[in-house]
Amino acid sequence: MKNLFKPEMLKVLIGILTFLLIIKLLWFVVQIIWLSPIDIDQAEDQSSKALYYKVKLTPNNIAAPQKTQPQKKTKIAGSIKEIKLLAIYNASDISVVTVEYRKKTKVLGTGDVLNGFTLEGAGSNFAMFSRDTKNYKVLLAKNSKASSNISTIKSVPAVKSMVQTKKALGEVTNEGDVKIIDRSLLEHYANNMEDIYKNIGISEVKEGKDLKGFKINFVKKDSPFSKLGIQRNDVIKSINGQEIKSYNAAFNVYKNIKDVESLNMVIMRGKEEMELEYEIN
Amino acid sequence: MQMVKKSLLIFMALWFSLLLFMPKAELYHTVEKALEKQDVKLNETSIDEGLFSLTLKDVTVYVKGIALAHVDEIDFFTLLFYSSLDMVNLKVDEALHAKVPALTKEAHFAHNIFEPLTVSFDANGSFGVVDGKFNGMDNVVRIDFVELGNISMIQSFLIKDEKGWFYEKSF
Repeated sequence: MKNLFKPEMLKVLIGILTFLLIIKLLWFVVQIIWLSPIDIDQAEDQSSKALYYKVKLTPNNIAAPQKTQPQKKTKIAGSIKEIKLLAIYNASDISVVTVEYRKKTKVLGTGDVLNGFTLEGAGSNFAMFSRDTKNYKVLLAKNSKASSNISTIKSVPAVKSMVQTKKALGEVTNEGDVKIIDRSLLEHYANNMEDIYKNIGISEVKEGKDLKGFKINFVKKDSPFSKLGIQRNDVIKSINGQEIKSYNAAFNVYKNIKDVESLNMVIMRGKEEMELEYEIN
Repeated sequence: MQMVKKSLLIFMALWFSLLLFMPKAELYHTVEKALEKQDVKLNETSIDEGLFSLTLKDVTVYVKGIALAHVDEIDFFTLLFYSSLDMVNLKVDEALHAKVPALTKEAHFAHNIFEPLTVSFDANGSFGVVDGKFNGMDNVVRIDFVELGNISMIQSFLIKDEKGWFYEKSF
């Protein structure tokens, strides 16, 4: 009888297969003992949603509007249009603006009256006047550059030095019960994240492994954040309806903050839940 | 001579079978597990095992649950004595564009057994073209900018000498 395979060849083949089997078994043991068989994936964060925009709706208890004869507008003695805003200086306790009124330059402080309009405050590029319980916003004249601001204020030496040291950054202003955040301030912090942490300390609040919110550790005195009314040990629960229970949710708010029209923040202060509202100008 | 030949053959067979049977996907999952401890997670749409390589497609990089970057393809290749990692189209989230370059078109990292403590790399993207080296002996990383692109966001971290801009950091 003739052999199909040479016995030596068969021996070599069996040797090779045994060798491969040993290597495979070796890897198998390594895999069982040390290697992870499961793919670790990040679960999609379902809690993130677009920040909402606040819309003021007419309350239901108000009677439906009825057709009335259009009222003729009573002409007011002086117009706000006659006031041209040339320069602004904002300090923590006072706002000083330089305006042009009937071709004359005037310097006004908070509470000063011009043509029946009272200066209430100022942002980075506007001044807020009031008259007859109505507010009037005057924007900084477009051709008013920083250099012209300073030259305009030359007549007020005490203010001049302050104007020169002022940073071109928006402010948080109080308009009665409402706090108004200048959009330039939001844009500044949206583009310079490190500046946030110079003014405010934030740490995570966890229950076991679950993130429950973010706690304020410190708020720098006189910083825009202190003017927002937030305090040390406050826990941020939600911003504009977005629950802040993950880093992704917080990052989502940070990414979209430049586009919001108003801010609504729910915080826990001690055991009390508080709602803080801001308008963006 | 026969003995040397036989030893060489056994060594080659051992090397080849080690690579062939290497559980590459499981090794990658183990790396993922180690990264998870640093709050870094990688989501990919597919993992393809090759003879000497592992290819990941559409990888999203999450740091603390935030999707910070996306890579179209990551290819890991090893011959044990030489290993490389290639990345194609690394895009970072637009919120970070003010801090880091927006796009890395290609990046190549290489390690060989003759310089065990050195990893060399080169890359090109919106920042231009760079090549660099990580020296594990001195714990120094140096990146030379061969061609300049948009580096305005990282320029404050760079130094300029007669050869051009470079980044150097020791750990």
